[in-house]
Amino acid sequence: MDQFIIFFFFAAVAIIFALVVVLHRNPVVGALSLVACFFALAVMYVLLEAPFLAALQIIIYAGAIMVLFLFVIMLLNLQHVAEPATRPIQQFAGYTASAAFGIGMIYFLLKYAVLAEPTVPFHADARAVGMAMFQAYVFPFEMVSILLLAAIVGALFLSGRPAHGKAREVQP
Amino acid sequence: MIPTHWFLILSAVLFSIGVMGVLTRKNGITIFMSIELMVNAVNLTFLAYAKQFGQTHGLIFVFFIMAIAAAEAAIGLAIFISLFHHRDTIDVDEANLMHW
Repeated sequence: MDQFIIFFFFAAVAIIFALVVVLHRNPVVGALSLVACFFALAVMYVLLEAPFLAALQIIIYAGAIMVLFLFVIMLLNLQHVAEPATRPIQQFAGYTASAAFGIGMIYFLLKYAVLAEPTVPFHADARAVGMAMFQAYVFPFEMVSILLLAAIVGALFLSGRPAHGKAREVQP
Repeated sequence: MIPTHWFLILSAVLFSIGVMGVLTRKNGITIFMSIELMVNAVNLTFLAYAKQFGQTHGLIFVFFIMAIAAAEAAIGLAIFISLFHHRDTIDVDEANLMHW
């Protein structure tokens, strides 16, 4: 019974903060709401008996990726830049399409994906993840390290000052 | 025990909210955050099915998706910084040329 209360509370938290991310005009508020949404999703991972991934979710997403977002938003000083209004037709089409998509997906989930209680025990602690990762998935794991190295080099290359063309004046 | 399809429905709702953000917003950073939201919704689906079938493959996929999202965030934000240096805006409607 407690599990259900926790599930509904944090599901509501996740959905509300996700809506704030999408609807709020200020990107700083959006980024902080996304952090709250990720924390609620980490609670969902704990409910799914995967505490190791919940810790990873908080460390990687809330800790690293969202700090990067906030850092870029504040570096570019975007909280004072007014976002131009979206055309009404695009707004209407976007809301309609996403609502139709969501309703359709929920309909088909309720129709085809209502499964029986799981019978197999689920081991998702750090030991199980490590055993799987370094036995069956050791080659993709090494590929991920190369991918991250390429991402570091690419980010350094892309975000450097332009060698020619217009350099932006630094505001006092 | 919470039924699996509740997690799937929560995941579908979060994914739809992410789609709404991508379709209706113009701020590049906000669009990017909506994409992160969609990635997380898919992670939740992977984990719900991993628990349903008692397998660790879903867990490993979630781990790899997290690593790829980190790489994607670094590259995407670097692109937005570069765009802001060139155009003084991150409005995605302004970024309609491959070369400038």
